[in-house]
Amino acid sequence: MTRGLVALAIVALFAVPWLVTNTFFMHLAIMVLMWTALGAAWNLLGGFAGQVSFGHAAFLGVGAYATMIFHLKLGLAPWYGLVLGGVIGALVSLPIGFICFRLRGPYFSLATLAVAEIIRIIAINWETLTDGPVGMLITTLPELRVLGQPVDWESKTPFYVMIATIVVAVIGATWAITRLRFGAYLLAIREDPDSAEAVGIDTVRTNVTALALSAFFTALTGGFYAIYFRYIDPDAVFSIALSVEMVFIAVVGGLATAAGPLIGAVFLVTLAEVFRERFQVWHLIFYGLFMMLTIRYLPEGIWGRIGLLLGRRG
Amino acid sequence: METLIQSLVSGVLTGSLYAMIGVGLTVVFGVMRIINMAHGDLVMLGMYGAFWAHVGARVDPFLSIVVWMPLMFLFGMAIHRFLLRKVVLGGELNTLLYTAGLSLFIANLALFVWTGDYRTIKLSYAVMPLRPFDIAVPIPLAISFGLAIVITVALYWLLARTDMGRAIRATSQDAEAAALMGVNVERTATITFGLGTALAGGAGVLLAPSLYLYPTVGEILVAKCFVIVVLGGLGSVPGAIAGGILLGIIESLGAVYVSVAYKDLIGFVIFLLVLLLRPAGLFGVGKS
Repeated sequence: MTRGLVALAIVALFAVPWLVTNTFFMHLAIMVLMWTALGAAWNLLGGFAGQVSFGHAAFLGVGAYATMIFHLKLGLAPWYGLVLGGVIGALVSLPIGFICFRLRGPYFSLATLAVAEIIRIIAINWETLTDGPVGMLITTLPELRVLGQPVDWESKTPFYVMIATIVVAVIGATWAITRLRFGAYLLAIREDPDSAEAVGIDTVRTNVTALALSAFFTALTGGFYAIYFRYIDPDAVFSIALSVEMVFIAVVGGLATAAGPLIGAVFLVTLAEVFRERFQVWHLIFYGLFMMLTIRYLPEGIWGRIGLLLGRRG
Repeated sequence: METLIQSLVSGVLTGSLYAMIGVGLTVVFGVMRIINMAHGDLVMLGMYGAFWAHVGARVDPFLSIVVWMPLMFLFGMAIHRFLLRKVVLGGELNTLLYTAGLSLFIANLALFVWTGDYRTIKLSYAVMPLRPFDIAVPIPLAISFGLAIVITVALYWLLARTDMGRAIRATSQDAEAAALMGVNVERTATITFGLGTALAGGAGVLLAPSLYLYPTVGEILVAKCFVIVVLGGLGSVPGAIAGGILLGIIESLGAVYVSVAYKDLIGFVIFLLVLLLRPAGLFGVGKS
């Protein structure tokens, strides 16, 4: 039953570009999926392990820059760079994890914020590698043939398929984690790190693994960001605001749930894109407001609350 | 040698203002265990307060502090009373996320109302710096430095000598014990948050003539603020003062002897090292 529904949802997800022709709606759908991927990746660490990172823009930026640098300086096609970027993001997260996980709760959050700022400042100043504050630009994407058909980079469809694949992968990973022993470890750490340690869970190793997984998907989405917008600069991809938005998507949707980030992204991103048309900054005002309302009245998030209601009735 | 003294002097002058912002954050943390992500935005409100007093009412920005500090005090009490009080019960992470939301809300509301334009306050008496012993001292920074010392001393007197101050220190040491001794912890918390907000706003007023104003300046200030309070030990007032002045000096020496580009990096690296090696702060007085 559930399996059928999930299969149906995935088919529906990939059918969208053949049903929707309006470019604005396609852009909206891509944005929703991009933020779903980011929120879900953040959720792997923040929701399940309860480690609130305010520095995930670091991984998004590393993924985006890796994709750009491999393409512009080494001539590697950006879709390979995207995957490599994910791996690099995961590698970068390892030392960060071993440093920051010695701290707990809010101290961990502050440390991740500091790490992200350090990486941003390096990206601005290491001009031989990143071209500094000027940013990096892909003018034309190289040709690609899929099943003998040339891909049309001017349409939104290839980007949609790309990001939808990433979303399915990250939500699939989240779902798998809820079923595995690893997920139980993470929840145990979230509820009580001392008890978790006492029953023999290596908390640092478990957290570092969760962070690496989370960083991999965040960096992967960062690579997508670079290909889709074709332009990045340090203040755009490493900003604190970006880190905070990822947190909001996951919290508003529902912490530690597989579908929560999708709900959060549909809700917040639609709101944002609709408002962006008319007022530049209103969407961030609403982000802040919804964050406050959610924490105060709906700490389990929209999807979490729906789950609770259904659970009570059934 | 002259360069060294010059950068030390400007470091201490800026550091005094950092200290004032840091003290506001640290007293709030001490009493409520709140890490207030919106603290920098409260500083930003103070900066705009001074700006509008100067442009709108032709009042000297430094003079406007007598209006803005009490107003910010009331504003802070209202934030705690109506918004934060219930959220604090949900734990440290909830307040962290909640104040992050508050920060985004305040900063972008300001961006909407005042636009993203960079603004400056031009003072007729601030064109030439003072030159005692051949060291350049910008006049607005000198005035801010003096006022920051007056305010910090007043705060010390309040914490050390008044009943309210004793209640704040007692709650900070042990909220339950304080409650058992008859301290109204809720009220103390509200007043402390008001105090922290007033310090942030006051520091904003003092900073306004020396910095560019724009609505998202709080983002940078709050990051510096965390560095300061962690250097000095979270919850410790003398620690925050020392941390503020230390950061001022580090930044100004870093800009001269390392590079302007990387001066902000030094602060963050030291911040990480202190968090890891001495989580109770450089002087070992903070609470972890």
